[in-house]
Amino acid sequence: MYPFDAIVYLQRDDHYKRSDLEQRAQIDAMSINDTKDKVLKIPDRSDYLRDQRRSGQEIMGVLPALYPRELLWAFNILPAEIWDPPGEILLANVHLQASICPIVKRGLEFILKSPEIINSGYLFPHTCDSLQNLGTQVKDLIGVPVPVYTFYNPKGEFNKASKRYYSEILFNLQKTLEKSHGLLSQNQLKAACELGHKIDIRRQMLHAALMEDRFDLSNREYFQLIRAAEYMQGQDYLDLLNHVEINEQIGVAPRARLLVTGILPPGDDILNFLDESRVRIVSEDLLSGSRRIPIVEMDQPDDPMEYLVERFFLLPPCSTKAGGLDKRLQYLKKLIAKSRCHGVLFNTVKFCEPELFDQHFLIKSMKVMGLPVLNLETELQPGLSGQEKTRIEAFLEMLDEGVPV
Amino acid sequence: MSLSAKLKYKFMKDYGAPALMSLQGLKRRRSRPTPSAFGPPLESNARLKEILTRHYYLSRFVPGVKKVAWVTSGAPVELLRVFDFYTIYPENHSALVGAKKQGAEYCGIAEGDSFSQDLCSYARIDLGHMLSGKSPAGKLPKPDLLFCSNNICQTVLYWYKAISQELDIPLIHFDAPFVSDRQSEADIRYMAQQLQDMIPILEQVSGNVFYMSDLEAVLKRSQDSSRTWGNILKAMQAKPAPMTIFDAFGHLAPIVSLRGLPVAQDYYNILAEEIDDRVSKGIGAIRDEKYRLIWDNIAIWYKVRYLATFFAERKMNFVTATYTNAWAETIDHLNIKDPWNSMARTYGQIILNNNLKHRLGLMRRMIDDFSVDGMVMHSTRSCKPYSVGQYDLRKAISTSLNLPSVIIDADIADERVWSEQQIQTRLEAFCESLEDTNRG
Amino acid sequence: MADLFFGGIDVGSLSTEAVIINSEEQVLAEVVLITGVNGSEAAQKALNQALELAELAQSQIAALTSTGYGRASVPFATGKTTEISCHGVGAHHLFPSTGTVIDVGGQDSKVIQIDDRGHMLDFSMNDKCAAGTGRFLEVMADRLELELDELSNPAYITGPSTPISSTCTVFAESEVISLLAKDTPREQIVNGLQRSIVNRIWSMVVSIGIHGEVTITGGVAKNQGLIKVLEEKLGQKLNVPKNPQTVGALGAALIAKRHHSDSTST
Ligand SMILES: Nc1ncnc2c1ncn2[C@@H]1O[C@H](COP(=O)(O)OP(=O)(O)OP(=O)(O)O)[C@@H](O)[C@H]1O
Ligand code: SF4
Ligand code: SF4
Ligand SMILES: [Mg+2]
Repeated sequence: MYPFDAIVYLQRDDHYKRSDLEQRAQIDAMSINDTKDKVLKIPDRSDYLRDQRRSGQEIMGVLPALYPRELLWAFNILPAEIWDPPGEILLANVHLQASICPIVKRGLEFILKSPEIINSGYLFPHTCDSLQNLGTQVKDLIGVPVPVYTFYNPKGEFNKASKRYYSEILFNLQKTLEKSHGLLSQNQLKAACELGHKIDIRRQMLHAALMEDRFDLSNREYFQLIRAAEYMQGQDYLDLLNHVEINEQIGVAPRARLLVTGILPPGDDILNFLDESRVRIVSEDLLSGSRRIPIVEMDQPDDPMEYLVERFFLLPPCSTKAGGLDKRLQYLKKLIAKSRCHGVLFNTVKFCEPELFDQHFLIKSMKVMGLPVLNLETELQPGLSGQEKTRIEAFLEMLDEGVPV
Repeated sequence: MSLSAKLKYKFMKDYGAPALMSLQGLKRRRSRPTPSAFGPPLESNARLKEILTRHYYLSRFVPGVKKVAWVTSGAPVELLRVFDFYTIYPENHSALVGAKKQGAEYCGIAEGDSFSQDLCSYARIDLGHMLSGKSPAGKLPKPDLLFCSNNICQTVLYWYKAISQELDIPLIHFDAPFVSDRQSEADIRYMAQQLQDMIPILEQVSGNVFYMSDLEAVLKRSQDSSRTWGNILKAMQAKPAPMTIFDAFGHLAPIVSLRGLPVAQDYYNILAEEIDDRVSKGIGAIRDEKYRLIWDNIAIWYKVRYLATFFAERKMNFVTATYTNAWAETIDHLNIKDPWNSMARTYGQIILNNNLKHRLGLMRRMIDDFSVDGMVMHSTRSCKPYSVGQYDLRKAISTSLNLPSVIIDADIADERVWSEQQIQTRLEAFCESLEDTNRG
Repeated sequence: MADLFFGGIDVGSLSTEAVIINSEEQVLAEVVLITGVNGSEAAQKALNQALELAELAQSQIAALTSTGYGRASVPFATGKTTEISCHGVGAHHLFPSTGTVIDVGGQDSKVIQIDDRGHMLDFSMNDKCAAGTGRFLEVMADRLELELDELSNPAYITGPSTPISSTCTVFAESEVISLLAKDTPREQIVNGLQRSIVNRIWSMVVSIGIHGEVTITGGVAKNQGLIKVLEEKLGQKLNVPKNPQTVGALGAALIAKRHHSDSTST
């Protein structure tokens, strides 16, 4: 248990204690050694969900970003997160203006196609103004054949009232889901929290290992692995994570080490290009990634509801929660120092106000620190445009210390 | 607090500002003849101008006399009034910059400092003002406190965080959970708790002590003026409507930025009297009101005059708007006997913090109550909470009520996204369909 | 020992340039062509013309760096570097006290901060939209039935301007059309357009900062009206190269030379 006052970000900076990690890595390596595959097999999102659906699994479409996944698991609901479904945007343009972010547009495009795999409803966590309105637009104006749920996430600096409120709305969500999914079993909730706890710890280790170059995964593979959490069953995902080898030794030094921050990781074509250019992403501060993993290693869940409340307040600073800017900068500075990165890549979703506002301060502060910054704006379209390529290459030339003399 | 600053403030408040204003008033009155499509202008216009100019003008003498708070339009300002803060409304100031067609210039300053051009233009203008110190209203006093609520948008929270960081000034944020369905007990408790927890901070920043009786008095005044404002808007149900919504965009300023002060209450009493008088005499805002329209979303500040004339010339009058209504709509939830919970209800349920089913119902009622013939929606690039969902709102309204409607894409204060050719064509087509519908 | 020669080719979205220098870093030849649909053909053609001017054979070029958005389609290049680095190096060579470089080309505009060795310290680049690039001016000149050269006509440089409020190229174009319909004098419109494009470039300049002397490169530097407006805004004179379009190719040739001496010196 963490006293409320300790929820000042990063006062506990010992959470990636190296000795602990090494010990753990060894234990894990021993226990899973014989089952370990050399090649990591990450199931394809659509295939996986289709198989789940075929086996009778209840699946709920969940929009970005923060929601109590353990609670859904406990109701035997598989959350399938909807971030950036591929394909052209056609139907959504009838409902949304041009200046709305592509995550909202792609999310709506997906919903409008009435995908069969989603049979349990949609959940709209409160993330930003655009998603807030999309939730009510879908629920109250467009209409879908499955139920639509919403879940508020407290905003701003957390105050005395926040914690109590969060526990109350968590309970309200439980009550709402019980109406359609039957009474919640406390044992199931506890088991779900325990599973989530294991995943969190493994994710924290992997992130620490990433910062220390102790992986063989390419940039692209790493983010595939992280993003598999968006659709896999908890247990399957934990198994997958346990298959990832963490090396004892530190890998070869790349041409450049970058930290990436933003909503989503860069697209596959950009990641491939970074791989080809021998650039290594050594840390991530992504809403779809580490911003959803607690900042410290939590104790084993005892009272599951209390655990879920604690967990929310232990998530890293994030633009969508709109806490203090300085806290966010301090947190990023830690990641920068730990990962020894040479530069920061801001992977910006076009029209995303939460990120765009924070970014202004963060980029300025980083420049003052002398840290090179590359800002890539994306509408989540596939490919790598000539302009993007020029930007990235010029940035790398700059990191190479200008042009060789 | 220096005695001389206090005296100077008092002198300017009582004598200097009024004298100056009356001079300006004289100059203005002579220079602007009424275009022929309009009825006689409201006499209260002069009084309004005086109040607002005086408010901005006086703000120069405030430092050292009162603590200054920058406040968002949806924040429960009554709490600040108890502590005698001098309040500045940056949104209001940005609208003023927009109305003076200087929005692009101020936005440009913020963009030059690397703020993205995709941010709300109220925010960009204000940040441009903060970075340059420029203002068409002279000079705004630096804040001692920032007070914001996300009951209008999350944007204001980011915007105020940016100011707070840059100027190193404390920020109080009132977190108002979005009403997806209906407010829960938990929502009310959470908001009421936050309000009470603010008291010690406000006492500390202002140096004044909280008295419940003061809050009650302010809430009472606030409620009275909101109700009077609501009645003024309701009077526009009369045919012809005594004023246009474009007038109301201007007369809205005191209820937004002087709410809870006697000056606002006095002003709305005068305005209400004039409006009632016009109704009884059958004086309309436009000379020949043939069609009655509803406006959705915030004003397009740099084009108010253009739009007013465009429609007046076609015998069309805007008689109601979701925007102007926002400061009257939820006031009946306020209960002076139960201030904390009832403030949570009043402020938590304002239009932009409420779901679209609610908005649809409200608009249908307005269309009915005000005998509306057509609808113009302004889809504004700046404002996601007001604009996301508008396409479907329009569809729901025009199909169920068979109401001609049009959406124009523009912005509240950044005139660079305005395309006159395109918008004019759309509006003309809309007017034609309106005339056709009513002919057939 | 025979003198060594180095080449730089800049395959831009609109124009392709070739520059040849000798080991003293003197320019022996420079060529500007329209890129057209085939970048690698344009590159070869530009090189051939430059070789001819310098009276050299291709085999005499010790190293050649390609740059510009078509840099990958120059098969005979020995190295490639982005035009952002190249404009920095080229501007530094021509005006050694340059701290900030503004390159406004046909498709992209960039503002680059360089140190006293010409190394890039920071840069900013326009977003996808064409506002603030040479393309914007091309579209408008076309609409006004003016040749690009005529934008430098003194009549268009002084005198009043009509503000063009839209930043979007498509909107601005329709604004120009309606101004023409209202018989607004062309020089006022041109002046307004120059201001509008400078406003767009300006936010990049501010974000990178003005560090000592400012040098402008790229084809838009040939536009005298724009230079004047930009200088007014900067409050200082700009360094304008005699041939602003070839600065990128010059930088590329200098980089080729450095690479060559790096690889042979150890
Ligand atoms: N004589 C001229 N007077 C004024 N402007 C000119 C003139 N010639 C070219 N330009 C401007 O220069 C632009 C082209 O610049 P440049 O040749 O540097 O582009 P580029 O390098 O091919 O493009 P990019 O760097 O974006 O890929 C044209 O769009 C035009 O606006
Ligand atoms: S990308 Fe930004 S604006 Fe879009 S849904 Fe996510 S948080 Fe909201
Ligand atoms: S215009 Fe909209 S986004 Fe901007 S401050 Fe107002 S409510 Fe917020
Ligand atoms: Mg170029």
